[in-house]
Amino acid sequence: MNNAAREAILGSIRSNLSRSVPDETNPVHLENPVILSKKVSSATLVDLFKSNLESVNGHCIIADSEPGVARALTTIISNLQTTNLRAQRIALSDTPSMERIMYMTDLDIEELTITPSATEIFSFDVGISSAQAAIAETGTLVLDSTYERHRLVSLVPPVHIAIVDASRIVETLGEALALLRKDNEISPAVTFITGPSRTADIELTLAIGVHGPQELYVIINGSR
Amino acid sequence: MNHLSSETFRENARAALADVHLRGALKNATSLFGERRREAAASLPNWEELRSRARAIKDEALLHLDRYLEEFVRNAESRGARVHWARDAAEANTIICRLATERDARIIVKSKSMTTEETHLNDALEAAGMQVVETDLGEYIIQLAHETPSHIIAPAIHKTRGQIAELFTAELGMPPTDDVAQLTSTARATLRDRFAAADVGISGVNFGIAETGTIVIVENEGNIRLTTSLPRVHIAVMGIEKVVPSFADLDVFLKLLPRSGTGQRLTTYQSFITGTKRRATDEGPEELHIVLLDNGRSRMLAHPVTRQSLACIRCGACLNACPVYQQVGGHAYGSVYPGPIGAVITPQLMGIEKTSQLPYASSLCGACREVCPVKIDIPRLLLHLRGEITAQRKGSAAERLAFKLWARVMMSPLLYRTSSIAGRLLQHIIPISRAWTSGRDLRPIESQSFHDRWKTLQ
Repeated sequence: MNNAAREAILGSIRSNLSRSVPDETNPVHLENPVILSKKVSSATLVDLFKSNLESVNGHCIIADSEPGVARALTTIISNLQTTNLRAQRIALSDTPSMERIMYMTDLDIEELTITPSATEIFSFDVGISSAQAAIAETGTLVLDSTYERHRLVSLVPPVHIAIVDASRIVETLGEALALLRKDNEISPAVTFITGPSRTADIELTLAIGVHGPQELYVIINGSR
Repeated sequence: MNHLSSETFRENARAALADVHLRGALKNATSLFGERRREAAASLPNWEELRSRARAIKDEALLHLDRYLEEFVRNAESRGARVHWARDAAEANTIICRLATERDARIIVKSKSMTTEETHLNDALEAAGMQVVETDLGEYIIQLAHETPSHIIAPAIHKTRGQIAELFTAELGMPPTDDVAQLTSTARATLRDRFAAADVGISGVNFGIAETGTIVIVENEGNIRLTTSLPRVHIAVMGIEKVVPSFADLDVFLKLLPRSGTGQRLTTYQSFITGTKRRATDEGPEELHIVLLDNGRSRMLAHPVTRQSLACIRCGACLNACPVYQQVGGHAYGSVYPGPIGAVITPQLMGIEKTSQLPYASSLCGACREVCPVKIDIPRLLLHLRGEITAQRKGSAAERLAFKLWARVMMSPLLYRTSSIAGRLLQHIIPISRAWTSGRDLRPIESQSFHDRWKTLQ
């Protein structure tokens, strides 16, 4: 049956296209891609990323080393522990650097689990992952499933903390898209994240944290 | 105010105009969206260039749609997705119900998809005994209220927070409040249970990438990520016109879509899903099914004017810009797709029999064409459809007769001169059509025609 549907739809597309003539008013011209990128320094990219992330209600902390990242994590989590977000049950993604950094923190927590399952993840307060790249012009994190299991950790807990190397920040959306295709293959799941979850579905009033995290912290490692 | 028919647009519009709540909500929403879109577009120096390029990409995809679809399917299937072809809404619903039934699905979570609104998928799934939960906050509200979306990107734009609070109190047992944060967190808590229990997740698709077989879905809330990450099975419903040739094309569309829709530089989340997981230990669904829906779309390819409608990326900018939509809102159109784009898509998808009033739901001011990120010439499309309606004798008989007479008179100098003299003499005695004069003034005919004045001036 499905094969019949496939043939019918493709047949209909072909016969309808053969009846049409190209629209004079909109000639097809695909050469001349839009050039958008201009090269800027790494420090500028960090600043640009930070201000764009903050403009969409995200928090950005710049650290100079792994111990610096661990200190930032300690501050963020112990501050959250004084709020109703609790921050007692921490879920980590599975990159080795994450465990190393967690080991350097000075925290008193109830639970620390690496990549909890889809059923367990709902009971966690904070998810911590790294990001494979970031986009300065929009304040966006790029999460690529080939390198890390961070799909749920970055999504289900009310707080997401992401750690990204300063050297992984690119300037434009176009550069980030090109990075994803650089080996001519693409990961099964890539996610762009720009700020905490939001909605304006009720009277267009902004509400932060509807289905995804209500707090997003990005720690940039190495400002160079 | 709901489940209205396109056949009664004029009556629907009149009722909407009398609804003070609705008009207040529409004014706020459309002016805010419009203002944000203007600012966002102005912040990019090459906005016009981006629009032209987006249109060129869409034209390229549509002119070779068979080839790009086959490429898309080949690449998606080689990475583990299963593709299903559906000629019409009924076939799409049958496929999806079968997929869900075969997997013993009882609870289905859905993210917002206008395409599944078009096929009335929820009714089909519920008839098959499944519980379907809309998870986009706006869609969830209208599902609880048993209503339909009134805006492409803000489905519950017509409801006040007071109405939503009453609904949540009645349906979810929420303590009375009209605090938006409280309403939002009530929905979050209720829907979390559903996400945790769901067997199948159903989503729409914003872009299908031919060269990789990737589906791209954009959102702000995170419910699409939950829908496509948690359940064991993900079913994505995609109109055949959503395919674009290459991954790099997204650079253009991801700039235009959020800026045109909500004025954001990017929406909070973009999910790029390419086939199923490669390793057993990876996160995400075991199965990915993509249902490709025609449902009248391939027919629109036949004519260059109608073909434009398939370039639409469903941003909703034309709704916000339209002086008609601004006054009457989405429900008056009586169709799944409202506003200017709805007035051109609906008659083409459903036939002009029951939708012949929609192409007239416009003053042809051109505001929709100005804001469209893919430069669809909606006024031209509306005129084209009006022409079809007239050719098929579906319009008003009196209007047809009037224009026939007018054409006859204009083609004969003698008749023209006689009729202008008659008009000058009789204009204050014979009443002119009230449909015309009740909403505007008709200027009196000058005592002397230009032709006569020219003679004396010479």
